Amino acid sequence: MSDEIDFDEILGKYHSDPYEYVDIFASHTGKVRFLVEEGSSIEAVSGEWKHIPGTALFEITRERNPKKVTALTNGVVSSLCSEHEGCFVEAGEKLMTIRHPLKKKEIIESILKEVLFIFHAPERAKYFFSLDVQSRIEKKSAREVSIKPGDEIIIMSLMKRDTPVYYSGEKGVIHSVYFTPGVSVDQGAPLIGVCPADKLPLIKKIITRVKADWDKKE
Amino acid sequence: MDNLTLLSPFTLDDYVVTVELPLRKQGGSPDSATVLRYGAYVGSVVLVYPSLGRAMDTAREHISSREESGRSVANGSVILASSLSLSKGRFCRSWYAPPGGLWGCLILADTFLAPFRNFLPLIPGIACCEALQQFGASEAAIRWVNDVLIQGRKQAGFLIEGFRSPVYGEQYHLLGFGLNLNNSTFPPELQETAISLTQVLGHSIDTVSFGLSFLAKMRYYIGLLLYEEERWLARGGGETYEEEHPILKRWKELSDTLGKRVLFGYDVMENPQYEAVVHGVTTDGGLILQHDDGSTSVENSGEVRYCRE
Repeated sequence: MSDEIDFDEILGKYHSDPYEYVDIFASHTGKVRFLVEEGSSIEAVSGEWKHIPGTALFEITRERNPKKVTALTNGVVSSLCSEHEGCFVEAGEKLMTIRHPLKKKEIIESILKEVLFIFHAPERAKYFFSLDVQSRIEKKSAREVSIKPGDEIIIMSLMKRDTPVYYSGEKGVIHSVYFTPGVSVDQGAPLIGVCPADKLPLIKKIITRVKADWDKKE
Repeated sequence: MDNLTLLSPFTLDDYVVTVELPLRKQGGSPDSATVLRYGAYVGSVVLVYPSLGRAMDTAREHISSREESGRSVANGSVILASSLSLSKGRFCRSWYAPPGGLWGCLILADTFLAPFRNFLPLIPGIACCEALQQFGASEAAIRWVNDVLIQGRKQAGFLIEGFRSPVYGEQYHLLGFGLNLNNSTFPPELQETAISLTQVLGHSIDTVSFGLSFLAKMRYYIGLLLYEEERWLARGGGETYEEEHPILKRWKELSDTLGKRVLFGYDVMENPQYEAVVHGVTTDGGLILQHDDGSTSVENSGEVRYCRE
């Protein structure tokens, strides 16, 4: 992580285009039928348990088994690969892009993810801090807890199988926690963001600057 | 009192050849001899103690002390104790382990491929349920993921904890098991929810014989997991296993969870989250839950309790 950050450049980027562009791909091979048009508004998955599906985006049929794929994020369909309508596509083929409007909190998180060391979930599972880390967090706060490579920091719980997860990354303090104990996390999603202790003032500066700048804009 | 020292690798090998293999062949299981050979390391070492604090802790100490002396623990080692004084279930729940039950831990080196690891927690429930049925408790059934219930009460519980060995850094699964067999009294907080085999059958059973049956079936299903891995690799492998695994198929046959209205929670006793109806299971063993508004969600971790309709 660099000591110097060009705030004007980063903030200018988010001011001019405060969106995240989420590409949607074919989940498996099959014949595609689009259920939205370019410009359609998209609702995200919702409900206390994330059990209410988002807007149906497309249907993909393989071996007479149609499967509707729904949106995980809200926004607008900014581009649609309509040439695939009714065609057989391969798994991973890009089908559309959703333009998701970013909130202030998401912008801060997005910038932090660029500057923190992000430790990702090894599998889709539920996660919680190991007893040692949890008790240190309870005594102080996550940002006071320093970790180093090889530390057992998190327990991964999957099918009643609890596996310790060992930290591999830069030595530092746990700055951001992206998971909620007892809530499923997808494979590859961020679990924690770690910041070397001496870089904490820089991180604070980023948050303060984004908040101030965004509030001014709003 | 049963003498658990009679349960040894030699008696287990003998039991597998004379009882388990003919049973599997009779049941039409294809390649059962090969499958049992794949799982033959289960019970290759059996350590029996008169009493322990917690078998999982002893397993950790055993692995560590072997490595510290420049050796490695035998994969498939089983630790048994006539009684446990510090036993507990998940989330520090009480587990009563007096003489008369089968209490212990199976040490498994993590040699399983990622798409197959999820089936491991299903195995002890299946093995226990089959052993119970073999001994006459025909109504034994599995509640997702692997609690074994008889008459709605818990007869056996299992948990799996990961462990990285201190010297060589090898990953292990420690599979703890607690089976209520001849122990027929429970502390007040468990009296309504626990049951033992002797309470069901009305007579005591030979703990060693039951232990042999349970471990032989563990041997079969862990062998089946490895056997299927090899067949899958021979077909080209991939990132996921999308067929119905024979272990999942067998679990479905023995489980009474499908179709039930359940209370779900990560720690369902302390923090119940919602009620839903079990709609099915995914190909990797996750529970498909149908909510009252008709929508569904999938849970791969957590636990359920059946709701009384």
